[in-house]
Amino acid sequence: MIEAIRLTKRYTPGSPPAVDEVSFVLEPGTVTGFLGPNGAGKSTTIRMLTGYLPPTSGGAKIDGHDTLTDAHAARRLLGYLPESNALYPEMRSVEFLHFVGKLQGMPRRDRKRRIEELTERCGLSLILRRTVARLSKGNRQRVGIASALMHDPPVVVLDEPTSGLDPRQMSEVRDLIRDLGGTHTVLLSTHLLPEVQRCCDRAIIIAGGRVVSDGSLDALRDEALRTGQAGTVLIEAKGSVEAVRTALAGVSGVDQFDATAADETGWVDAWLVSDRGVDVRDAAASALQAAGLLVREIRREVPTLEEYFFRVTDPAHTPSRELAEVPGRVEATGGDA
Amino acid sequence: MKAALTLAKREWAALFFSPVAYAVIGLFGMGCGLVFLTGFVPGQEATLRSVFGAIVWLLVFLVPAIGMKFISEEISGGTIERLMTLPVSEPQIVVGKWLAGMGFVVVLLGTLALPVLVLEAVAEPDYGPIVSGTLGLVLVGGLYVAVALFASAVTSSQVVAYMAAVFVNCSLTFVLFFVPQTEWIKEWSPAVRAALQYGNVNRQYADFAKGLIDLRHFVYFLTGTGLFLFGAVKLLESRRWR
Repeated sequence: MIEAIRLTKRYTPGSPPAVDEVSFVLEPGTVTGFLGPNGAGKSTTIRMLTGYLPPTSGGAKIDGHDTLTDAHAARRLLGYLPESNALYPEMRSVEFLHFVGKLQGMPRRDRKRRIEELTERCGLSLILRRTVARLSKGNRQRVGIASALMHDPPVVVLDEPTSGLDPRQMSEVRDLIRDLGGTHTVLLSTHLLPEVQRCCDRAIIIAGGRVVSDGSLDALRDEALRTGQAGTVLIEAKGSVEAVRTALAGVSGVDQFDATAADETGWVDAWLVSDRGVDVRDAAASALQAAGLLVREIRREVPTLEEYFFRVTDPAHTPSRELAEVPGRVEATGGDA
Repeated sequence: MKAALTLAKREWAALFFSPVAYAVIGLFGMGCGLVFLTGFVPGQEATLRSVFGAIVWLLVFLVPAIGMKFISEEISGGTIERLMTLPVSEPQIVVGKWLAGMGFVVVLLGTLALPVLVLEAVAEPDYGPIVSGTLGLVLVGGLYVAVALFASAVTSSQVVAYMAAVFVNCSLTFVLFFVPQTEWIKEWSPAVRAALQYGNVNRQYADFAKGLIDLRHFVYFLTGTGLFLFGAVKLLESRRWR
């Protein structure tokens, strides 16, 4: 439905590319998160996808229509919320929605019906008659989102739709985006990982203008587990510090461990680090039980998607190796915290 | 055409949202009023000729104040990104904005109804020159709106766009008036001198103010307007490649 073909953008000839050979295909009905730190090239990629900015090389297609050479057909299928979400300040919200609908070729009756629907879905009832210049940033964002959905386009591209929204509005917008899935192909650009976790089936992570990771959220979680830091297990047990240390010393597969007294009531905090992918919780629990120590918590710190995101978007990270390793993925073992 | 009209409607409404529009109407009315009253003497011809002669100069400075924001504001405000990802072509954007500017010029010239009513009350004006003079002003306004539109596509700064448009308008009036008067050009090439004189807006307008409607003057204004609109379209298109 949306296709990026080796999209590359250099703003000045000879300079390092802002976007470097970005390729992906988004299947109909999926919601894809386009994730990356600020300045990673997200907006530049999106501007090329929507046909606003011509790529230095490569191209983009919406449902087979090239966004530059067949722009009119491509734009009919597209609903786009730009990052800046600039609106005409003198217009009322309802006028702006009519304006966008008219340019999308919608007859008046359809526009009115659609505005009623969107008023409900985007929470516009109180702001419909107000002038855009007088709206808060969050409300402006809602009008922008509604305008992107005005002609019910099959393809929706949203560039940081929740910026400027309060937590409640953020949650509403995320629900709205999730509901678009199935019937719409959505590309959601954001630097917020929770947003992607909440709304998306798939995430494409971009850093330094290149795709550093691309896969379903489950695949990325597995990848995070497989490539993440060695597993750390945190333990709380009752007894002397020495007794805990002695018991843990006998657990196989442990690289490092230590224990300290938590307070005067006799509880001891211990941590141990095992090899990557090895779960030592069972062995640690048995060893402590055998030593006659009471255990109230054994918890494994699982490498999170967030940690994975930080790692792959780190400028020092080399993406090619990471991607090449994806097929030989190791299944995560018993990681329920 | 439908898209262009939609764009024109929005732009026209936006013009009146800004105090600049009212300042322009006020200045225009003041200028016309003063010139009209100065020439409003018993025993004189009941015409607007002196007013027309003044207005054609006022437009040099006033029309750019309206047109300076047409595209520059879209660029600086960022609305251009949404506009150019909607199914609208560059010619539609340019024509829409030009139509909005023309709508404003018509409103501006509508204020001439007042002196006409005064003339009607005290004398029997000859409507021929009034109609042809007003028609000529519409054509001059159309050319200046196109110039301003072109200038506003060059830059994101409204001030720069205004200055650029006034510069072009002055070139088409002052420069093309004074240069052909110089002795050296008379001696050097009478053909170049004639060509420069042909380019002078006020010279092309003069016949309209007298009540003469000549097809050649139409050709001049429509060609000039078309050229600047074409330039604006090309500038807008080139934004994609810069």
